[in-house]
Amino acid sequence: MSFVDSLMAGLSLVWSFEAFFALFAGICIGVVGGAIPGLSATMAVALTLPFTFAMQPITGILLLLGVYKGGIFGGSIPAILIKTPGTPASSATILDGYPMAERGEAGRALGMALWASCTADLVSNLALILFAGWLASFALNFGPPEFFALILFSLTIIAGVSGDSLLRGALSALLGLLLATVGLDLVYGTNRFTFGDPNMMGGLNFIAVLIGLFAIPEVIAMAWNPTAHLGKARSLGTSKVTLTDYRRSFKSIIRGSFIGVFLGSIPGIGAAPSAFLSYSEARRKSPNKENFGKGEIEGVAASEAGNNGVAGATLIPLLALGVPGDVITAIIIGAFMVHGLQPGPMMFILNVDIIYGLFIGLIVSSVFLFLVGSVAIRGFKFVADVPKRILMPTVLVLCIYGVFAVNNNIFDVGVMFAMGWVGYLMVRYRVPAAPFLIAFILGPLLEDNFRQSMLMSGSDLMILLRGPITWFFWVLTVITVVAILRNVVKNTTP
Amino acid sequence: MFAATIEVAADALRECSMSPKTVQFQLGLGACVTALFLAFVAIPTWVSSPSNVSNIVLSPVFWPYVLTALTGLTGVGLLLVSRYASATVDPEHEDLSDGKAWHRLATLAVIMIITMFALPRLGMVWTTMIVFGVTALLFRSRHPKTALICAIAIPLLLYLFFAHVAGVAIPQGIFVRLP
Repeated sequence: MSFVDSLMAGLSLVWSFEAFFALFAGICIGVVGGAIPGLSATMAVALTLPFTFAMQPITGILLLLGVYKGGIFGGSIPAILIKTPGTPASSATILDGYPMAERGEAGRALGMALWASCTADLVSNLALILFAGWLASFALNFGPPEFFALILFSLTIIAGVSGDSLLRGALSALLGLLLATVGLDLVYGTNRFTFGDPNMMGGLNFIAVLIGLFAIPEVIAMAWNPTAHLGKARSLGTSKVTLTDYRRSFKSIIRGSFIGVFLGSIPGIGAAPSAFLSYSEARRKSPNKENFGKGEIEGVAASEAGNNGVAGATLIPLLALGVPGDVITAIIIGAFMVHGLQPGPMMFILNVDIIYGLFIGLIVSSVFLFLVGSVAIRGFKFVADVPKRILMPTVLVLCIYGVFAVNNNIFDVGVMFAMGWVGYLMVRYRVPAAPFLIAFILGPLLEDNFRQSMLMSGSDLMILLRGPITWFFWVLTVITVVAILRNVVKNTTP
Repeated sequence: MFAATIEVAADALRECSMSPKTVQFQLGLGACVTALFLAFVAIPTWVSSPSNVSNIVLSPVFWPYVLTALTGLTGVGLLLVSRYASATVDPEHEDLSDGKAWHRLATLAVIMIITMFALPRLGMVWTTMIVFGVTALLFRSRHPKTALICAIAIPLLLYLFFAHVAGVAIPQGIFVRLP
């Protein structure tokens, strides 16, 4: 199928009111979800997922992508106005956004955040369109040993960039891998940790685990301290962002977008490190470097470009290799699976219309994000005024319905509650939840590809080093592990 | 007796604002204990392996044992790292909850357990209405009237969507059935 044929197939699939409405609604939900501190883009995507089950695959996935993109931008609104990032990715925005708000320039900071976000989002989407197909055609040569090496590499990256403690990230990933072993054995069909319960023979439901891990801990945290969220929002002020501001920050925005694209396309890194790297690079190169941290608009632009530049790029490994780029794309992979789609190189052959439909939807999403974001900046006061002590019971009820709807099974609701307490303990012990979830998804793939390789080779481990592709991933894995170990030693040596 | 148990648990875990040293040490210890439990109790008891497996790497127990060993090693790493970690509490992680926090946590756990029993008997709509009301009360909502309206409206709206739009068979319970 030629490029034009593929494009037309995608257009015919996505050219409907429902698809564009879902995308628009998704961005609205995402901006509101990201703007409410404590709700986060991740939770917004997780809570929206059950509503996509009854939709067409393309409509459901566009809805989730809209929530994702809206959520990443929405997180910058409370970061600037109340010094509380709505998503971890917006942490860098606080550095200059909040000082600007203190000076009465919140409207200008938010305007720049929106312009930088939309520009970076567009760059990221174009990168996705350019690179995903190329990577997928390359990945068609992958067999089980290559996939095993790739997934192993993805796991080392996840463990290596998870919060302030690498060992805690590694522990989180290992617990996720262990939990993924529950169910019937892939080769022999024998029981593993099923305790004779038929509900556990298919493994723990992925959506119950993810909602339990990301949404329920917030509800439990509210029980622990119901007044922790109380804060004071600042007014927008009268000053607005101008074209001169945009032109002055343009270099930083483009640089940040490319940093976001590069880091986003590596599985596991995510938006927060990208935002900080983009910010520090802008600070290093800017003629106004002494103003950074005191309310410099270029700082806001750089951090927002860094975190939004990731949004499209994280879909590159998801679509091309079937490996989630970050925790939100790990949730989105669930939507693909629910609709009977398996992201990866074969999808570019079997479901090319969906791939191109998504590309078209993503380009349109940058425009929608600009429209919705402009309104959301003015409407933040209403979002911030949603009483959190009513919001959290709503989240709890939504979780119960959503998780039950996956399999019509009350057992899944129990799994969600149990995982909620696990997630809460992880929060208390500062163990990041993202590596757990990504490892939980990648675990069966890792084991399956390993055992398939062993079956192919008659248990000869050398098959795992059979060609240049496996060597490449093994070298990357070794480099990452050495870097992780060096970092651990450096951080612990007094 | 329930209150007394909660008090004991609260006293035992009073040290809520944990220093990095405590966090690393407790996690390391937990990981080591988990690895030992998995290696000597859980895997031998709850993972079945056929007797005719030709090679250990293909056995259903191989993968869990590999992960267990890595968990144990990570635990040892955390214990070693805890020796060098700071013993002072980071202000960012300081706990600002009041004295009733453990009671609320225990009550929420009880609400979740009761929810599991009530879902097939009362039905999802009625159960979630009660869950909403009780949790809003537990969180000391300052908007009781709004909470009451939401407690009735949100489960009903969700029921309408999932039952009539998405076609999900929402549990109706054995008492009052909705159309």
